[in-house]
Amino acid sequence: MTHQTLKEEPVKRRIAVAAGLAAALLGTAACGGSDSGDDSSAALDGKGKTLKVWLMVDAQSSWKEIVDDANARFTAATGASVSVEYQQWANHLTKLDATLAGNDVPDVIELGNTEMPKYVFSGAFGELDKATFDNSANWLKGLSGPCELDGKTYCVPYYAGARVLIYRTDLFDASGVKPPTSYSELTAAADTLKAKNGSNNKFAAFYMPGAYWYAAMSWVYAEGGQIAKKDGDKWVGTLAEPTAQAGLTKWADVVKKYSSGDITKDENDQAAIFAQGQAAMFYGNGWEAGAAQEQRKDPNDPNSELVATKVKGKVASAPLPGIPSFLGSSNLGVASKSKNQALAAEWIKTFTDTKAQEALLGKGVLPNATNLLDKAATVKGNEATALAAKSSWFVPMAEKWADVEKAGVLQQMLRDIVTGKRSVADATMWADTEIAKILNG
Amino acid sequence: MLLALPTLVLLAGLLAYPLGRMLVLSFQDMELRHLFSGSTPPWAGLDNYTEILTDGEFWAVVRRTTIFTVVSVAVSVVLGLAVALLMLRVNRPVRLAMVISMLFVWAIPQLVSAQIFKWMVDADFGVVNHVIDQIPGVDFANHSWFADPTQGWIVITTLVVWAGVPFLAITLHAGLTQVPRDLLEAATVDGASGWQALRSITLPILKPLVVIVTTLSVIWNFGLFTQVWVVRDSKPEQDYQTLATYAFTQAFGRNNYSLGAAISVITVLLMLGVMAFYIRQMFRIGDVD
Repeated sequence: MTHQTLKEEPVKRRIAVAAGLAAALLGTAACGGSDSGDDSSAALDGKGKTLKVWLMVDAQSSWKEIVDDANARFTAATGASVSVEYQQWANHLTKLDATLAGNDVPDVIELGNTEMPKYVFSGAFGELDKATFDNSANWLKGLSGPCELDGKTYCVPYYAGARVLIYRTDLFDASGVKPPTSYSELTAAADTLKAKNGSNNKFAAFYMPGAYWYAAMSWVYAEGGQIAKKDGDKWVGTLAEPTAQAGLTKWADVVKKYSSGDITKDENDQAAIFAQGQAAMFYGNGWEAGAAQEQRKDPNDPNSELVATKVKGKVASAPLPGIPSFLGSSNLGVASKSKNQALAAEWIKTFTDTKAQEALLGKGVLPNATNLLDKAATVKGNEATALAAKSSWFVPMAEKWADVEKAGVLQQMLRDIVTGKRSVADATMWADTEIAKILNG
Repeated sequence: MLLALPTLVLLAGLLAYPLGRMLVLSFQDMELRHLFSGSTPPWAGLDNYTEILTDGEFWAVVRRTTIFTVVSVAVSVVLGLAVALLMLRVNRPVRLAMVISMLFVWAIPQLVSAQIFKWMVDADFGVVNHVIDQIPGVDFANHSWFADPTQGWIVITTLVVWAGVPFLAITLHAGLTQVPRDLLEAATVDGASGWQALRSITLPILKPLVVIVTTLSVIWNFGLFTQVWVVRDSKPEQDYQTLATYAFTQAFGRNNYSLGAAISVITVLLMLGVMAFYIRQMFRIGDVD
């Protein structure tokens, strides 16, 4: 469908363009950032006020110091203090709905870009003045698209993520395997690793949980398939088409042949499972390479020290050859019921300014603007993510797409396939019906 | 009548008002934007009910919830009765130890025990797989307990029964102490076996109590939510949806608040049969007194 290519194409093109522009753009952007920050903060007095911010757990596990730094700068500029509450992906929307129905709401809310349209449409977010944010002229379209409605802006892109192959360098060396550059090399590498470590029944040459739909759909898009398309004014599920089925079959082979562990799980645990040292590869967000190597000593205390896991120093990442990545991102909005609209916008300004974005580049994530992208590719540990983003896909741009995720249609289909409850053909037929029912409902 | 007024007002406020709101909601079409803005949702008539009653998925959920309720209540009551009978036979210190340990089980919040069960049966980190794996020749490393719904439901039923037995055992034990000793002794003198005495004397005397605790268990287990929700990581798959989680997923997961309300209304109607049975039994006991 046209929307989809519109969202995706500029990203690819802009990475190329950005690569040519280099430092000049970055310089001006950085200047612009500090100017706008000084102007507005002078007018804001937040003394005695506390701003409530809901961020997702990734910020807590992988770049908490960037949050702390932004908070410190914000407090110094406005006098308001900040209370950050970290949310879990599993239940954050339910919690958000209940909270937004009341009056004591968080001022700043982070949502995934696939979740955003429904909330913007339902009036959950207040309007923002786009021009006041750093690099807003260069925001990645795939990220800022869901923020816009009727020419107004309701949220700010925060970061993007592309998924990469994360692997154990020591196991690769021991088996004489090199990072694969094609899909056939990937399966050959997995075969070699599996043969070499066959005595360990917990070993996974390629850890792939069975309900990991971002991964499975990447295989679908690799074969030229897609999830759904718009036919006239109706949505039609397209997973039962031969290309999509071929992709799913190929993906299910990875689960059955190379993975171990609970095939009904989704990807939430994968970095922790990889950290146990029983897997040679997994497919994760760039920053999960870091999360697999260091974990909080006390998982319930975000301030506890980071301790090295068994795989520390033995992990590297590379683009997964032949498989396009889902371009996921997170956006930040100000709740329309917030009593601190100006302060909340100011906090977002601080947290998404060029300084914070550049700090994020070191964490294996992609920045929110095209002019920062070429820099991302030069940061050590981030090359793979920036490369992976060049070939990407995105979910159908339908207002009700978030409900498909909520209903767990794709996860159910995948579990049915990997557990053998339904054949690929039957499972995809079922999923197509459900997806069409929800998107057209 | 006047003296009962405060109670009636309180009941109306706590029960009738929310129930009434739910009933109204089930005939409307409420979405997220109505929730955020507080505006009145449009009237939908019987649309929600037709949608649910013609949906095969809904009937599969009803069937699953019913089977779970029958199995879990039967197992709980039989086990509860067995433990209660055992408590009669053992000496005082042992009985005390049994009561205390069961009170601990009872005192653990459902959320906590469900979380602990979830960890114990986790395929990658769980202790259950680890222990079974120690048996020579058995490969249980990474065994997934939830890939096969039958196994998954056995885990969930075990958890529900484990948490339900203490109440049943303690209540039934209290009932058993009321069975007149001389009746049982007379039966023994007449040559009745333990089994005959149980069937012909103990159980008939205990029957009203058994009926009440069974009905209560049916009402509780039919509304199964917390255990499934926690064990399935707050996103239960189709095979693990019960009426309660199904209504919740529709209402709060997918923001079809009205559809969720309609499912709840239908659930209440389904439960009314069991409730009527319970209330009748309550009155019967009242009459005897």
